[in-house]
This record gives sequence, structure tokens and C-alpha cells, in this order.
Amino acid sequence: MNYNLNFDSSGDRPMSTPEMFRKIWQLVGNEKSSLIIALVVIIVNSLLNLIAPFLIGDAVDKFVQTREYPGVIRYGIILLVIFILVVVSGYFQTQLMGQVGQRMLFNLRNALFTKLQELPFSFFNQNKSGDLISRINSDTEKINQFFSHSLIQFAGSMVSMVGAAAFLLSINFTLGVAALVPGIVLWLFTRWVSPFVKKQNAVSLKSGGQLSAEIQESLSNFKIIVAFNRRDYFRQKFEEANVDNYRKSLKAGFINTSLAPVYGLLANIGQLIVLAFGIYLILNGLFTVGLLISFLSYIVLFYNPLRQIASLWSSFQVALASWDRISMILVLKNDLEIIEDQTVEKLVQQQNATVTEFSKSTISGMNDKLTANDRASIERPVLVFEEVSFAYTPGKNILTRINFELLQGKTYAFVGPTGGGKTTTASLISRLFDPVNGRILLHGKDLRSYSHEERAQRIGFILQEPVLFTGTLRENIVYGNPELQLLSNDSLLELLHNEGLGGLMNRFNNDLEMEINASGDGVSLGQRQLIAFIRAVLRRPDVLILDEATANIDTVTEQLLGEVLAKLPTTTTRIVIAHRLNTIENADEIFFVNSGKVTRAGSMQQAVELLLHGQRVS
Amino acid sequence: MNKKNSVTSSPSVFEVLKPYRLLISVLVGLALLSNAVNLVIPQLISSAIDAVGTARFSMATVVGQFFGASLVIFIFQLLQGFMQTYVSEKVARNLRTELNERISRQRYRFIVDADPSKLLTNLTTDVDALKSFVAIGVVALFSSVFVIVGASVLLLTIDWRLALNVLVVIPVIAGAFGVVFSRLRPLFKKNREVIDKLNKIINENILGAALIRVLSSQTPEYEKFVVANERARGLGMQILRYFATLIPIVVFVGNMASLAILVLGGRFVIDNSMSLGDFAAFNSYLSILLFPIMVLGFVSNFIAQASVSYRRIREVTDAPDQPETGTRELQLSGHIRFDQVSLSIGEKQVLKSVSFNILPGTKTAIIGPTAAGKTQLLYLLTGLIDPTSGQLSFDGVPMDEIHKSTFRYQVGFVFQDSILFNISLRDNIAFNTKVDEEMVQKAIRTAELQDYIQSLPDGLNTMINERGSNLSGGQKQRLMLARALALQPRILLLDDFTARVDTLTEQKILDNIQREYPGITLLSVTQKIAPVIGYDTILLLEEGELLASGTHQHLLNTSPEYVQIYTSQRSTNQLET
Repeated sequence: MNYNLNFDSSGDRPMSTPEMFRKIWQLVGNEKSSLIIALVVIIVNSLLNLIAPFLIGDAVDKFVQTREYPGVIRYGIILLVIFILVVVSGYFQTQLMGQVGQRMLFNLRNALFTKLQELPFSFFNQNKSGDLISRINSDTEKINQFFSHSLIQFAGSMVSMVGAAAFLLSINFTLGVAALVPGIVLWLFTRWVSPFVKKQNAVSLKSGGQLSAEIQESLSNFKIIVAFNRRDYFRQKFEEANVDNYRKSLKAGFINTSLAPVYGLLANIGQLIVLAFGIYLILNGLFTVGLLISFLSYIVLFYNPLRQIASLWSSFQVALASWDRISMILVLKNDLEIIEDQTVEKLVQQQNATVTEFSKSTISGMNDKLTANDRASIERPVLVFEEVSFAYTPGKNILTRINFELLQGKTYAFVGPTGGGKTTTASLISRLFDPVNGRILLHGKDLRSYSHEERAQRIGFILQEPVLFTGTLRENIVYGNPELQLLSNDSLLELLHNEGLGGLMNRFNNDLEMEINASGDGVSLGQRQLIAFIRAVLRRPDVLILDEATANIDTVTEQLLGEVLAKLPTTTTRIVIAHRLNTIENADEIFFVNSGKVTRAGSMQQAVELLLHGQRVS
Repeated sequence: MNKKNSVTSSPSVFEVLKPYRLLISVLVGLALLSNAVNLVIPQLISSAIDAVGTARFSMATVVGQFFGASLVIFIFQLLQGFMQTYVSEKVARNLRTELNERISRQRYRFIVDADPSKLLTNLTTDVDALKSFVAIGVVALFSSVFVIVGASVLLLTIDWRLALNVLVVIPVIAGAFGVVFSRLRPLFKKNREVIDKLNKIINENILGAALIRVLSSQTPEYEKFVVANERARGLGMQILRYFATLIPIVVFVGNMASLAILVLGGRFVIDNSMSLGDFAAFNSYLSILLFPIMVLGFVSNFIAQASVSYRRIREVTDAPDQPETGTRELQLSGHIRFDQVSLSIGEKQVLKSVSFNILPGTKTAIIGPTAAGKTQLLYLLTGLIDPTSGQLSFDGVPMDEIHKSTFRYQVGFVFQDSILFNISLRDNIAFNTKVDEEMVQKAIRTAELQDYIQSLPDGLNTMINERGSNLSGGQKQRLMLARALALQPRILLLDDFTARVDTLTEQKILDNIQREYPGITLLSVTQKIAPVIGYDTILLLEEGELLASGTHQHLLNTSPEYVQIYTSQRSTNQLET
């Protein structure tokens, strides 16, 4: 599956109005009933607001012109009551609508985050992290802006517009129709320009994303910038992105700001039509001055919300463009599905085959060393690669038809030149990716049939580049290990010492509350690797993979690590990826990984031969 | 009182407008003109209504005047819109450039202390806040004030008795806004913090995606996120409640004004002390008047937020430049001297009074356990950071007197963590512009990259992904070596270079360096003793202290710590020799 978000071209396609409303409806989700209640309150509020000008006009006609002051007072009292009701309905209108907006935003954020968690590693591999971060942070922020500031106004304006139109038509139909003509022109105009407006906003948003990706990269690489005297590079790369962003925002901004004046002009023309046509009607005795005053108020009540919508329209379009960019993530599916295991029926047959094959090749060599326990484990290889091929980009195989099997409790070393496919093999075992062809069996079952939780529990993978989270040392150690999170610091330390990790904890002065910054330089690379090691060992996996995981650790500490590894339960299978020979000398078996092939190196000596003199393609 | 002081002493957000005085005046001028013409429209309506049925009524004049006014408004507004976009984008662009220029001149230490993620916020969110301030805030502020004053004056001239009654709404509404926003401000701040927290969780989940998948720790991450998200929703609801109270109050006050117009104005019309047209005009002006009062309320909040952003930006732009001192352009021989150098980062002492001497053309290894201060020592050698006390010098010249640019052309540094740029392979190697094609080729040969590059369809023009994700660990290391070598450095600093490169390649590369770059002074931080046995000096560093130094044989005879490390590697040594 292609996860590259910038690959998509659907942003160029104009969106039709029904499609737009469908999208909004999608956003509404399960808030539909609350939304309807909110809309009812909005309608009540708007109606009350609309009655007022009508009563004022009526009062002018009936009592001011006829000079009956008590009538004016009577109308005044009715108006006062209505105004008080408006306060009440206005409060609930904002509350209800706003709450719907807040909950929708809450759900949207959750949905997006859940999706981020659900997507496979390829998604993060194929997208720039700076771009992803900007897409998620600033796009949800733009939708947030719309939800928390504009939605209420938007909905209220819509309703009072419709209500005002209804009043206009009911007071005087002909005059009403004439007054609304500019509104219809506006609607057509909006429909016509919207796709263009939205596209320009999308372009400008995208360029904003690139700008922040650029900043992110430059700032995190500042060391190199300084050490290589390339402050000019820093400035120049930034300036390019900055100017590009400026041009695109300028264009989008010009378009956004030119909408409002058009709306204003047409609103004024609407007023002009009412004034001229109304006066004409009055002159012909078909209309009254009082009604004209009301009518002019309604015209304002119709066109003012229209103008508000216009000013909100661009933020609405921005929100839609953001929504599009976020939906692009939301529609992505995890291609690492949990499948039905299809190995069961073949299992027996297969095991027979593997055992025989196995006995031929390996057991013969070390038969005399085997205990009963080992024999039992041989019956069930923990991990089997069957004809596994893998490519990051189709056609460029990193691994080609790999076959091997690993037994319980053994230590395996994967050695080979850089770029040979060692890390890729490990990534396949921990299912960061799925093989393009072939399959991997864990305990005889297809790896893909395990739930993610179970697989993670069974397979521990210490990554080449250790990942730490901002927080304390303790948080980083117990990360992903819920049971340990309940322990007090003292009992956790005790546990660590019992696990043989005490020596490693001494490197941190046993200070579990030590602050760790995910990005800072406060913790050395070697220390980071130690933390990652402790974290992985504490999870007691069936298979523990160390991918150059001790590369930056000094050899004395590394001996400590070796002791920890030796103390792991006898059922634990260890896979050590390294090119440093001392880290692999305790291995039961050595595999040589190079140019897409995994070959078994019979002995340490042979592995050294292969490493030193083997043909390398990297 | 205290609050007032802090406001006045901190930079006012209006300072940002100073360089654009002319543009802003044009912008405000356009806005005021269109608003002024807008105020005429109710007058036109009023006089038209009053004239109906009299001899001076002329339909053509009414239509002509009205249409003319609308058209003028349209043109002014259009120009105003263009102008405000232009000015605000220009302000944003220039602010970003200024920030970036400033950051680019700073030392490495500044970036670490300032926290890159905070700088990112400065360059994006904060600049955006100022952009909106210029685009919307400035115009809204001036035109609102103008309209309120203008409409008030017009109301007073039409009928001062009624006007005074109507204008009471201004202080009442302003007061309501003042009270509510003073309560909202802390909530806005909290809300911002929660959003930052949400973003932080998202960022960590993007950057740590691999680990989270390996550990399948999505659920705890999700729980963390939901807690923050719930808090965001709660705060949003709290803010909402204030608005739900404020807005109906403002509407009610406005409605009371229209009630006053009906009851009092009606009285005046009945008394014949006011015309019906004026009565209509009062109603029109009221609606014109109410809107800017509300706008002003919102703008005040806008300005407050922009002020916070502006203060944060100024913190960066006002930070004293830390220009790299030193004017002496040295031709480095490779003679390095550490004289009682100590370094503290925060409260932690990283290096404790370290002294040593390195002669030109020699090879030196630095070994020691994790967190011994080895990497920081190399950072000192490149001038990325400065010692807390003590002095380091090259060819007898103290570091702070050396001209840094010329110095850095002569020092090649291969960092421990892979830092590559999202540009072509060639540009990554020839990262310094002084590097020519021949230097690139030589560096590639030395770093044993020629086979790899030849295997690529695009060769040297292959684009490197962000963080080099399309390369293996060893390829990245060798690429970084080539980048350092391409400078033709006099001194080469390797930080744990061998950690990710296999033994065979490592040997070849070290031989290549000796052959291709004769006379180079080599400093290598390493874990393995075997490859450095023949080195001229080995420095043993532990917990920031220089425990021992000398040749391999010397250390074997004098340093028990060294012997311990050596023994831990012995079995390997035997195999590899």
C-alpha cells in the first residue's frame, strides 16, 4: 500500500456542494441528535430576533404615525418580553451548538490519533515526520478554529438568513423576490468560485507544511550546520521555503479577502432595490412607510448574516481543506492485517519435514551437547522463515527467498556487511513490515495471525536507533509494561537488581527519577541504548532481537549486558545483529546476511572468514 | 498596578508595525474611507423616506447616489483586502526571515538551550498569530473605533436627546467584554498548554513509531492522548460557557437600545420634535454601531494573544548575538592542547580538569565507558560548545582567538548520530561549498562508497530521504565520513565511527585515510581496542576524568582500568588477529 500522503492528486478535483455537505455530515458523526436540538434552539432564537423588527415596523405604522402613544408603550412591553426570551434562547444556542462542536473536535482528534496508532510503520517511513506533524497539529488547529469560533455564527447566520428571507417574502412577495435576487446571484457566485478558493487554500496549507518540515530538519541538524560552516545553507533553504510559502499564502489571501467586498456590494444592491422599489410601491399606494422600515431591517438581517457567512466562508474552506488533508490519513488502511492462520492443517506435515531437514543439517554437529529440554524445543522451532522475500520499493529486493529456522533458547548471531539486510530481517520478525512473498512462522503459526499485543509480547526488538520519550528514566524503563508501572520506585529497583540489571542501573546512579529529554543531548547514545536494553529485557519476550543494540556501549558494560542475556529464561531465543565479533562469540549459530541472502555460517571461524574475505555487495 | 507595569515594560505588539508605517497608513486609510462611505448609506435612506411624496423627491438621484456609494465601498474594500493580505504576509515573511537569520547566527549551545521545538513554535504559530493581528486586528481596531465615533457623532447631530440614551450601550457592552475576557485569558493560556501537550504526544508517536509498534504500546499512548484530549474538551466547554453568557448579554443591551428608540423616539415623532426619516436613520445607525463594539471586544483579546506571541518572538530576536569570536586565521598543523579543561552542562560535570597534548600527524584514540564525556570532548574540539573553565588551543593559539570559519574547513567531524539532509547524495557529501568534484570522488573512494554508489541507478544524484531512512546504519556512517573527508581536513574527528561499520570495511577505510590524506591528525572515539593498539596515544576517559594516557603498552603496564577493558575484549582480539 502506498502511504505517501503527497502522492495524492485528489486535491485538484473541485468538490460539488452535495459532496461538501456529505463531508460535513461525516464530521458530525454521532452528534446528529444533539445537532438537531441545537438547530431547533437556533431557529427559535432567530425567529424571536426576526419578530422584533416586524413589531417595530408595525408600531410605527399603527401608533407612531397615528400618534397613539399608549400603543407604542404596549408594543414596547411585548418587545421587552421577547428580548428577555432572546437572552435565554441565545444562551442555549451558543451552549448547545458549541458543545456539539467541542465534542466533534474531541472525536476527530481521537479518531486521528487512533488511526496514527493503527497505521503500520511503512506509513511513517514513507512520509516526512515534519510534514506529518504539521499536517496533524496545524490542520486540527484550523478545524478547531472553525469549530470553536465560527460554527455557532455559521449555523446562526444560516438560520436567520432563511428566516429573514421568509419574512421578506411574507410581508410583500414581489418586493421580497426583488430583494432576494442579489442573494441568488451571490449563491451562484459562491458555488462558482468555491472550488478555486479551496484549492488555493490547500496549496497554501501544503506549502506551510513544507515550511515547518524544513524548519524541523534544519533545527535538528544544527550541529552539522555549525561544524561544516553552512549557516548559509540553513538560511538559504529556509528562505526558499519561506518565499514559497509567502507567494502561495499571498495568492490564497487575495482570493479570500476579495469575497467579502463582493458580498457587501450585492447586499447594498439588495437594499437599493428595496428602497427604490419600495418607494415606488408607496407612491402607488401599495405599501406603507412603516413596512418599508421593517423591510429595510429585514434586508439587513438577510444580508448581514450572508456577509458573515462570506467572512466565515474562507475559514470554512480552510477547515474543509484541512479536513481533506486529515481524511487522507483517516482513509488509509493498515496493510498489516491480522489474518486467519492457514498453517494448522499443514503443521504436522511441515514439522515432520523441518525436523528431518533439521536433523540432517544441524543436530549432527552438536548432538552430544543436547539436553532433553533442547530436544523438546527442537520439535518446535520458534521462528521459521519460509521463502521470504522483501522489497521496500517493488522490484528492488532487499531479501530474496530467505529460509531459516530458529530454536527455542538458542542464541543466534546475524552478521554481515552494512546494507546487507540484517535490520530488514529483524524488522520482518517484529512485523514492522510484512514480507512481499513467503511467510514467517512463530511457534508454527503464521506471524500475521497473531494479535499485535501477543506478537509484541512474544517478540522483543531493541532498535538500532533507541527511542526515548521525554519523561523520567523510570517512565522510559517501564514503558510498554503495564504491570511494572504499579510498582513503587524501591520495589522496581529491587526487581531490576533481581533481574541482574542492577549493574546497568548503577550507570544511572539508580536514579529512577532522572529527567530524560527525547531530543536533547543530555543522555549519551550509549546510555540511550542501555535504557532501551533494560526496557526490552524487562518484558521477557520469547524472542529478543538486539539490532546493533550495544554498538555504542563500552565493552565493560557490554560484558554486563552479556551476563544479563545469559540469565534470561532458558526458553528465550536471542537474535544478535552485530559486526563486532565479541558480541557474537557466545552464539549457538551464526547466520551471514549479505546481498539479500541469509546463509548459515557453520562456525565462528567460518563467519570470520566470510566477514573478512567474503564477497560483499552493499 | 503590577500588571500594568509588566505590560508597559514588555515590547508592545504595535512595534511590529513600525517598519510598515506607510503601508499600514494606506491600509487604515482605505478601511476608514470605505467605512465613512458606509455611514452615508442610512442618511441616504432617511432622506429618501422623508422626501417621499414631496416635490424634491427624485428616484434617479436616490438610485444614483446609493449605487455610487455602494460601488465606492466595494472598490475600497477590495483594495483594503489586497492591502491587508499583502502587509500581513510581508510582516510574517520578514519576521520569519529575521528570526531565522538570528537563529542561524547563534551558537549550537543556544539551539540546545532554546529547545528546537520551541523555536519551531516561534517560527510557525507565533508568526501566524502576528500575521492575523496585522491582517485582521489592526484594520478592525481602527475601523471599529472610527465607526463608533462616527456613528455616535451622527446620532448626536440628528437628535442629541435620543442619542445619549442610545449611546449608553457603549460603556455597558465594553464593560461586559472587559469582565468576561479578563476571566477568559487564563483559560486561553491553559487551553494553549493543553494543545501543546496534545501536539507533543502526537510528535512523540510519529518519531517513535517503530518502537511503539514493536512494543504494541498503542493503548497506553492512546490513554495518555485521551486524558489530554478530554482536558482540551473540558477547557473548550468552560470557554464556551463564558461566550454563551456574554453574547446574549451584548445582544440584549443592543435590543434595549432599539426599544429605547421605539419608545422615546416614538414619543418625539408623536411630539413632532423628530422626523420619521430620522427615526428610521436611528434604527439603521444602531445596527451599524453595535457590530464594531463587539468587534472591539474580540480584537482586544486578539491583541492580547498576539502580544504574547510577539513577546516570545522578541525573546529570540533580542537574545544577544553570540558571534563566534576569534580573528586569527590559522593554518592548522594538528597540534592540539587541552589545559585543565572542565565542562558542565546544567548541574552535571561532564569533564573534570582534563589536560593532554596531541602532536601533529599522530593518531589518538579516546576510549572509556558510556557517558564518560567522550562525545562532549569532541564537541569542544570543534567549538560547538565552550569549556566552563580551562583552555584548549591549536598550535598554541587559544580556541577563542581562532577564526572559526577557516578553522572549521580544516576539521572534519563524523558525528555519532546519523545526520543527513534531504538532498542528493552528492550534495550531502559536498556539503561544504568549497568542495569540488575531485574532492568528492576522493572522499567516496576513501569511505569505500564507490560500489554502493555505482549500484544506484541515479548514482550520486540519488536523493537521500529525511533522516537517511533509505540507507543502512553503516552506509549512513560512511556517507558522513565522506562528508567530513571532502573538506580535506587537517584534523579528523571520529565519534564511534566503527560502531556501525563492519571490521573489513573499517580496516580498509582506515588504510585509505592514511594513504589518501597523509599527515592528517586523527582523533577517534571508539569502544574497540584492537584497531587502535598501534595508535600513538590512547586516552582513557571515565566519568569526565582522564584516568590514563599513553601507548597501548604503557597503559597495559600502568592502568588497571585499561587492563579491565582490554581483557573484556581479549577473546575478540585473538580472533581478529
